[in-house]
Amino acid sequence: MDWIKEGTAQVNTSSATEAREIGSRIVIAGIAAIVLILAVTAVLLFINLPDANAFNMRVERLFVENDNLTSNAEIKLLEILAGSGTAFSDTLASYRFVIFVLLVFATALLVAAVAFLVMLIALNRRMGRIERQGIEVNSLTISRDQKAVYLNDFEFKLTDAAIETLSVLAEARMDDEVMTGAEIEGVISGRDAADCDEAAGATRIKRLRDTLGNQMMSELLVKNIARKGYILAIDKDVIRMI
Amino acid sequence: MVHAACYADYKAKQDNPLRLHYGVIEVRGDCNASNAESQLRSALSRDGWQLLNVVSVFDADGLDQRRDSAGEYFLRY
Repeated sequence: MDWIKEGTAQVNTSSATEAREIGSRIVIAGIAAIVLILAVTAVLLFINLPDANAFNMRVERLFVENDNLTSNAEIKLLEILAGSGTAFSDTLASYRFVIFVLLVFATALLVAAVAFLVMLIALNRRMGRIERQGIEVNSLTISRDQKAVYLNDFEFKLTDAAIETLSVLAEARMDDEVMTGAEIEGVISGRDAADCDEAAGATRIKRLRDTLGNQMMSELLVKNIARKGYILAIDKDVIRMI
Repeated sequence: MVHAACYADYKAKQDNPLRLHYGVIEVRGDCNASNAESQLRSALSRDGWQLLNVVSVFDADGLDQRRDSAGEYFLRY
């Protein structure tokens, strides 16, 4: 049985990391695709805009192909034509720069949009999980001098004994250790665990659960409004009777 | 044997900015377009001009009608 449990646990963790890896790969691929598409657009833009010489070459061909275009005034006119063409192509070059800057902006915005989209999806998933789980502990702060424990933003007052029990459990958790009732009793009372009773530790755990559970219930489910009475601290839409 | 006077009119250009001119030269040696072309190419390139084409080769009778068009490039090279 133990072996089966371990096996499923391992499968679960690996699939979770796999999903995350696939997700990040999709994000990278998406961003790369955006950058690629816009880079190709930029390159096409730069290739397809006519260069300054295009106008000059047209005018030159016109001059060569028409034998009767020889008078001074006509030649001057052709030169002016070529000159204005060149001026226009200068304008095009500045347009090209503006368009390029806009493309860079578009790239940045699209990349940001994809990143935010992915973040939003991840956040949504996490929110959904939290909503289903009830309470997810993001921070646990034990304050010995104030005899209080802070779970996320909730403050719970505890007795000295309960604080002691919680501290021992927290230290054991940081070392990834599982403690028996006798071991807990041994650490708190300062005696050898072998001399301690398993039931004494269990009692300490029960008291901790009772005080903490009670306060959590009053904070999360059954609220007491001073001089008014009691109310369920949940949205009325989620209540269903079957 | 003395050659009859031989002339050619041509078109030339300069790049950046584009400048064009039409001119007339006197052709030395054989009176044909290819001779005129080789003669023009060397003369024009000294001043930074590039020959576009030789329009025609003609004798002294054709000079006057081209004088106005060629302007400052009339028999300059």
